[in-house]
Amino acid sequence: MKLARFLTLRFVGMIAVLLVVSFATFVVFYILPADPARMECGHLCTAGQLRQVRAFMGLDKSVWRQYLDFIVGIFDGRTFGSGKGAVVCAAPCLGYSFQQSRSVTTLIAQTFPVTLSIAVGAAILWLISGVVAGMVSALKRGRPIDRALMTTSIVGISAPSYLVGLLGILVFGFKLKLLPTGEYVPLLQSPLQWAYHLILPWCTLAFISAAIYARLTRSQMLEALGEDYIRSARARGLRERRVIGRHALHNVMIPVITVFGLDVGTLLGGAVITEKVFSMYGLGALLINAVQTTDLSVISGVTLIAAIFVVLANFVVDLTYRLLDPRV
Amino acid sequence: MTAIAAGTEPVTANASRGSRARLLRDRWAMCGALITCLFIAMAVFAPQLSALSHNNPYTYHLGALSGSGLPHGSLGGVSSAHWLGVEPSTGRDLFAIVVYGARTSLLVGFGATALATVVGTALGILAGYRGGLLDALLSRFTDLVIAFPQLIFMIALGAVVPTSFPRQIFMIAVIGVFGWPSLARVVRGQTLALRNRAFVVAAEATGASPAHILRTAILPNLTSTITVLATMAVPGAIGTEAALSFLGIGVPPPTPSWGREISQAISWVSVDPWYLAPPALALFIVTLALNAFGDGLRDALDPRGSGR
Amino acid sequence: MQRSFRLSGHRRRASAGALSASAIVALALGLSACGSSTSQSASGAGSSSQKGGTLTIYDSDSTFAADPAKSWSLAITSMGLLDRRLTTWKVSSNGVTKVVPDLATTTGTPSDDGQVWTYHLKSGIYFSNGKPITSQDVKYGIERTYAPALSGGLNYQKGLIAGTNGYNGPFNGKQLSSIQTPDAKTIVFHLTKPYGDWPWVVSTTSMAPVPDGDAPAATFGNHPVTSGPYAVQSYTTGRSLVLVRNKYWRQSSDPNRSAGPSRIDFVLNEDPTVEAQTLIADGTAASDAFGADFVPPAQLAQIENNPSVKARLVTSSASPLEYLAVNLRSTKLHSSKLRDALEYAINRKSVVVASGGTIAATPATTLITPGIAGRVDYNLYPASNTGNLTKAKQLLDQAGIHNLTLTLATENDPVSLAISEAVQQSYKAVGINVVLKPLSTDAWTSLVTGNSASGYDLALTSWQPDFPSAMDNIEPLFDSSMIGNGNFNVSRLDDPAVDKLISKAQGTINPTAANALWAQADRAIVATGAVVPLVYNRNSFLRGSNVQNFYIGEFPAYPVYTAVSLAQ
Repeated sequence: MKLARFLTLRFVGMIAVLLVVSFATFVVFYILPADPARMECGHLCTAGQLRQVRAFMGLDKSVWRQYLDFIVGIFDGRTFGSGKGAVVCAAPCLGYSFQQSRSVTTLIAQTFPVTLSIAVGAAILWLISGVVAGMVSALKRGRPIDRALMTTSIVGISAPSYLVGLLGILVFGFKLKLLPTGEYVPLLQSPLQWAYHLILPWCTLAFISAAIYARLTRSQMLEALGEDYIRSARARGLRERRVIGRHALHNVMIPVITVFGLDVGTLLGGAVITEKVFSMYGLGALLINAVQTTDLSVISGVTLIAAIFVVLANFVVDLTYRLLDPRV
Repeated sequence: MTAIAAGTEPVTANASRGSRARLLRDRWAMCGALITCLFIAMAVFAPQLSALSHNNPYTYHLGALSGSGLPHGSLGGVSSAHWLGVEPSTGRDLFAIVVYGARTSLLVGFGATALATVVGTALGILAGYRGGLLDALLSRFTDLVIAFPQLIFMIALGAVVPTSFPRQIFMIAVIGVFGWPSLARVVRGQTLALRNRAFVVAAEATGASPAHILRTAILPNLTSTITVLATMAVPGAIGTEAALSFLGIGVPPPTPSWGREISQAISWVSVDPWYLAPPALALFIVTLALNAFGDGLRDALDPRGSGR
Repeated sequence: MQRSFRLSGHRRRASAGALSASAIVALALGLSACGSSTSQSASGAGSSSQKGGTLTIYDSDSTFAADPAKSWSLAITSMGLLDRRLTTWKVSSNGVTKVVPDLATTTGTPSDDGQVWTYHLKSGIYFSNGKPITSQDVKYGIERTYAPALSGGLNYQKGLIAGTNGYNGPFNGKQLSSIQTPDAKTIVFHLTKPYGDWPWVVSTTSMAPVPDGDAPAATFGNHPVTSGPYAVQSYTTGRSLVLVRNKYWRQSSDPNRSAGPSRIDFVLNEDPTVEAQTLIADGTAASDAFGADFVPPAQLAQIENNPSVKARLVTSSASPLEYLAVNLRSTKLHSSKLRDALEYAINRKSVVVASGGTIAATPATTLITPGIAGRVDYNLYPASNTGNLTKAKQLLDQAGIHNLTLTLATENDPVSLAISEAVQQSYKAVGINVVLKPLSTDAWTSLVTGNSASGYDLALTSWQPDFPSAMDNIEPLFDSSMIGNGNFNVSRLDDPAVDKLISKAQGTINPTAANALWAQADRAIVATGAVVPLVYNRNSFLRGSNVQNFYIGEFPAYPVYTAVSLAQ
């Protein structure tokens, strides 16, 4: 019963959050000085033509009305104009980009695999390396390996990601010619090339995140290892491995998973800087491009998708937390 | 990565006499503190420092450049007139740019953290202490702010805000507003834990007002947590400012900014790597120093768990 | 973000490294305002082009508009590979750029008053789906540019074709009576006024023929039917555009295109710095490639001392004009002495350095750019390259102006910012405080081409004409009808004498007479203080070692994609 109530409340909350985020995005870009209708109208546009184009795009309506059209379009699709000159955006219509002559859903579908590839690969890499490093550090506390790992990690969190990435391209791409300097190759086209082109982005993202996770794991581990129940487990004569594996690790992973879920959720919405540095056109690059060209439909659509990921991740993490630790 | 901008490692013990001694003994932390102070001094005395070499970050020195814009001489134009060399294409003094750039980075970094700390603490305490509906609402509100695609919003807002509005204030506001959720969450957790402790329950039973309890029982026990969270949030805020400047939406030229210098220097790195070195190193060193100090502070205040 | 596919008119630059980059030929008329002349790349035009191979083009654009109605491409760049129009440009490495027949047999026969133009189509011309190209297809292609969904292209024709007020496309069965197609090979245009440059207008990309069909018009760009030597095989946003041969295209009907490579791969979303460095390195992939973006100043400096790479660099002649538009509607700029002071105080040398050095720019004092027929060189405000500060200060004192602050609106790519800072420095030297207002290209365009005159006092603008006529250096920028509504009279100059001169020159069919009038207009406009010409830009492009026939003519300042081939 409690679980059902929790789920319902959270679901309603999530929808509310998404509505607010999408509406806020709408409003902010509505008051931006750039005019999408003017862009669509093109060179040498007369006042009459501009009016026509603006009406066609639905931009002459109030911001409330435009927002409503957007929401309805998600479920019902949208049609601009009529007849052969009409523009049809099939459901789920997250908007239509007049500049690119494509529906936002299509654009997202084309760019999401890039973001997914970057996110998943980097996430696995940093989770494993970060947690292992943290555990090793905690178990060998005070010893040289601990110091080395912690120094590396503090360097990792202090370095700006764009700089690490760009230097990586310079050194491994141009000077040593070991790795490609950017571009994305689809998995289905060639799995080997796909991975090969993603090595640098994965390592750049993972290096910085692993540092954070190493520190987190280490401190959680140390705290857990000092707990009473661990001492009693040891006193009972349990093997060290069992002590760590079953008891300490379990408690360490909860906060790590909490944070991991949120990080992955955010990353799925687009790793803006990584995609830019490595010339990979994922959701983040799509979004930045749209902001530069004030393509409001793309901005709203992608913001909504990104927010959905974050909200979902939050929810999954809270659910897991609740299931694993009933005290909360 | 902002979800864990400040360490989520909880700090349960209070600041005690022992912690001060521990902090002073921590070499890394003390080094970090010293370097941070040096950078702060550098930012404060930027005009005086650059005047030592008779330079400012704005004047062009086209004579120091070749026809294609590259600095004359080695190491990117290092000379007695220009201690760290000059910028390609303009000839501006890099030393002056770096010391003035510290102003932007440190002002925005500390300012945004201060804002985030105040707001985050207030909302976190409220949510944790009050509980119930208020907590639920505030938690959803926190989720809302986290769900916002921060970078996009900052870019968009940057385009809307008029140029007459001081850019540093804008950046402090925007980075601070997106930075408070992680602090609020931790403070809320701590407050929740504290609220159920015996002495708080006892205080409530004797009829003390909530304000009194917050002031005397809850807040003092949160101080060390908040201090650590704030200290650890500063390098993140500095990094965000640099990233925004790198993306072109930071303070506009000609106000010096490390992030913008780095983004320009990247394209010159194959012909003039000495252009990249000063701003990149400055940013890296001050971030590292702040992180080291923050680490040491946290370890000192919580000797039980995560210390070295 | 630079848009190579939207190259004409306002010239946008790459934003290297951030949410954020430019060489030439001997001038036909011997105008020497621009100093040095750099030698051409070793593979000039004229060598017979070989067939075969896959050409790669690196581009910083993330999107490509394959629908001609929405394209801003130049006639000889990307859309020149896909589409043909009634006329096209003949760009040679030595000589003036001419308009020549493409699908038509001539460049057009005007009526006596120049208001009606007739064209006859060649035979043996086919679309990429095998259908023959008829005059009805040309008419349909033009009519559909009036539809709101397809308006976004170069729209020179829209204001010139008669009877198009309120017309919104052929989709409701409404056709234009001002475009007549008496038979499948003849097309007649009735214009709103006599227009000598109509052959040039007809060569622009939105005038390409489009076959009518059942599919919704807005989806045409996804699978376009092309008339040129290539057709689109695939397009992925942000990643690639692949062109393959159009098997119905005949070289015999198209002497202007060499169609060398069998396949052309556009690699999109490239960072201009990485792109330049890849081409400098000239590895296996890069040797069959060239870069669509200007080589950034840092890489120009890198190439300077590297002769083997320098041989693969082509630099255009000095043409696109970089200038400061002075907002005449701003309350701060009413004093003509102040405006004159701005003209005298400008330090063009620092602008040249900011643009990337002498290989990238030369100081400019006129509006009509070098290489355009009829250009007259003059300098109304004599000063050295670093400006005449004494005279400027004198004028400011006379006008009683002290402590003035002006807002300069600029795009936020690195080169524009650098030039803006150079301008800022120039005016600081005479006591004028310039505050920069960096904006993304679209925010900037909305501001300066919008209907409100507030928000900027100066604007850093650059302009390349869409076709090499003096008209296009002047009318879109200074005619009073071009204020606001997205048009480029950024100075908001509203001068009846200037308007009259422009309209007279436009209506003059005889080129020599027209050119004389344009030169007059040029001088008259600079005299009003509406514009401070800064520099003429030279764009530099890099090719891989296997690429041949890669050259830049006098106009436009871009390589001729339709001539490029690969060594076999």
